[in-house]
Amino acid sequence: MQNLFLLGCSHHTAPLEVRERISLNAEGVQAATQELSALSSLREWAILNTCNRLEFYGVSESNTARAEMDEWLSRFSALDANAFLASAFWQEGVGVVQHLFEVSSGLDSQMVGETEILGQVKDAYADAVACKSVGTMLNQLFQKSFQAAKWARTHTGIGRGHVSIGNVAVELATRIFGNLSKSRILIIGTGEVGEATVQSLQSRGCRSVTITSRTFGNAADLARKFQGSAVAFTDFREQLDTFDIVISATDANDIILQFEDIEIARARRRGHPMFLIDLAMPRDIDQRAALLENVFLYNLDDLSAIANENLRQRQKEVESCKESLAARARRFWDGIGST
Amino acid sequence: MDFTEARTWLWAATLLYAVAFLGGSLLARRGAGYPSFLLLIFVSLGFFLQTRGLYFRGMDTHACPLGNGMERIQFIAWSFVLTYLIIRLVFKLQLLGLFTAGLAVLLSLASLLPSGLDNHYWKAPGYEKLFASPWIELHAAVAIFSYGVFALLAVVSAMYLVQHSALRHRKVSSIASFFPSISQLEAAAGKLLLVGVVFLSVSIAVGSIHWAKDYENVALPKLVVTVGVWILYMVLWSLHRMRRLYAKKFARACLVAFLLAMVSMGTVSGKGKPVQANQATGADPVVGFLNTQAIPSLRGLINKTRET
Repeated sequence: MQNLFLLGCSHHTAPLEVRERISLNAEGVQAATQELSALSSLREWAILNTCNRLEFYGVSESNTARAEMDEWLSRFSALDANAFLASAFWQEGVGVVQHLFEVSSGLDSQMVGETEILGQVKDAYADAVACKSVGTMLNQLFQKSFQAAKWARTHTGIGRGHVSIGNVAVELATRIFGNLSKSRILIIGTGEVGEATVQSLQSRGCRSVTITSRTFGNAADLARKFQGSAVAFTDFREQLDTFDIVISATDANDIILQFEDIEIARARRRGHPMFLIDLAMPRDIDQRAALLENVFLYNLDDLSAIANENLRQRQKEVESCKESLAARARRFWDGIGST
Repeated sequence: MDFTEARTWLWAATLLYAVAFLGGSLLARRGAGYPSFLLLIFVSLGFFLQTRGLYFRGMDTHACPLGNGMERIQFIAWSFVLTYLIIRLVFKLQLLGLFTAGLAVLLSLASLLPSGLDNHYWKAPGYEKLFASPWIELHAAVAIFSYGVFALLAVVSAMYLVQHSALRHRKVSSIASFFPSISQLEAAAGKLLLVGVVFLSVSIAVGSIHWAKDYENVALPKLVVTVGVWILYMVLWSLHRMRRLYAKKFARACLVAFLLAMVSMGTVSGKGKPVQANQATGADPVVGFLNTQAIPSLRGLINKTRET
């Protein structure tokens, strides 16, 4: 008789300060792997270690797996065992299957529907395969969880829409320009929010980045980081029409881009659209520009509202997706039982 | 069910277009991903059946089937789907197949449901063939084909307006989020407009050879409307090319132009004067309100001008 179990701790059960104390570094994972191999009743195991969760998946021959794991953790020095056990949850059988299906699908993530977790689960499985700690049951479980994640992403709306400001901006830019590889970006200001947005745009193919700032040195430094160019703050308005996407994120108290500046640039662009992103508070861009034909102006509130709406849409899908994954988990578990 | 009857095949094609449109819409709404390959299969099958239907009708009429309202609308739908299948190879526009299927269903139903549109003119006693000359046939076929291209242009323009409106009103989770970008849609619209204008120009050039030889039989409204539609699209193309008309206004203009072109269809009889022994049976019920035999010809107008 083999018992599938899960002992874990995640952002659902432990606050950030506790997760900081129980997170494992690479050496800690290696140490845990070695020590778990010494447990005689443990047939298979895998460790999923991310910034939001630490989970031990195992297959034991005994019915006292929980007690053995607790006892081992109390001896394990790489983490604060008391903190871990105080926030830990325990699952067995089909509950483990359902949990891993939900984790792989991003349903259990802090940002519902995110895809990074699937890569982390795959890494955890690859590490377990490398140290030969997985056997028939965990092999099947992880493979099925990857299939479940793919199914959830394809057949439900949990991954639909972006939930970060940067990715929302990218989505909007894509709906205006299509392929972003030829789009030219101008960033006004050297703040972190603007920088993060440019990183998102670059990840989708934007190559040409120009930066301007009241302090030219700061603009030049950031330009080097993005392999772009810097333009003097006094000159950028003259070149405004050459940019497709303008991101403004300064801490200025007055309007940086006046309606007239944008109107002139729009006329020079001869019908090519302009995407203006105002991430500043107070706002940098004259809001009347939104009325201009072929000018799309979004401010911080607009982008946040879209991100929140996307998140709400995803959350609406969570319950039905969970039900479907539970049915899949049940089928998988019954299949294992019959073999 | 008679499989040599054109309407059987045309109904089957309509059914396939409807399955493509409804199935594609449902899957897209459920967020199950856009089934572009499946849609292409259904639209292609529908196109094949529609071609078969028009072929059988062509066998009946001994000509390109453009002799009544049903045939002309079917030919527009056929040209429109053909254009979609061709341009799909050149540039991919997400969801265009879905809307192509949708408009094909609308056009097909509009042509097949009203029984009065499909008079069997070729069964009239003495009927020999639809067109007096192959040049007129070519003119009519190319002209109707250009209308098909303009129909696709109208679809692309409508998609542009939906995407534009969604971006303006911050409706991010609408169906427009699956649409191509406004830049792609405008570029595609510009190319379709050029292709349509080229075909319509060729049609008018071919038709003008016939008109020059036989202008007394050319109905004036038909001439005015045909040239009017051509000028309308030429002006649109020129303004867009000069970047005087673009974005939302361009898309709206393309939609209005197509509506005008469709309305003008009533005046543009594809057959001119059918070749038959008994002229009394040659009237086309579709153009009954603008019967080519009842409207003034160029010769008549010239004579009238001379008398006054």
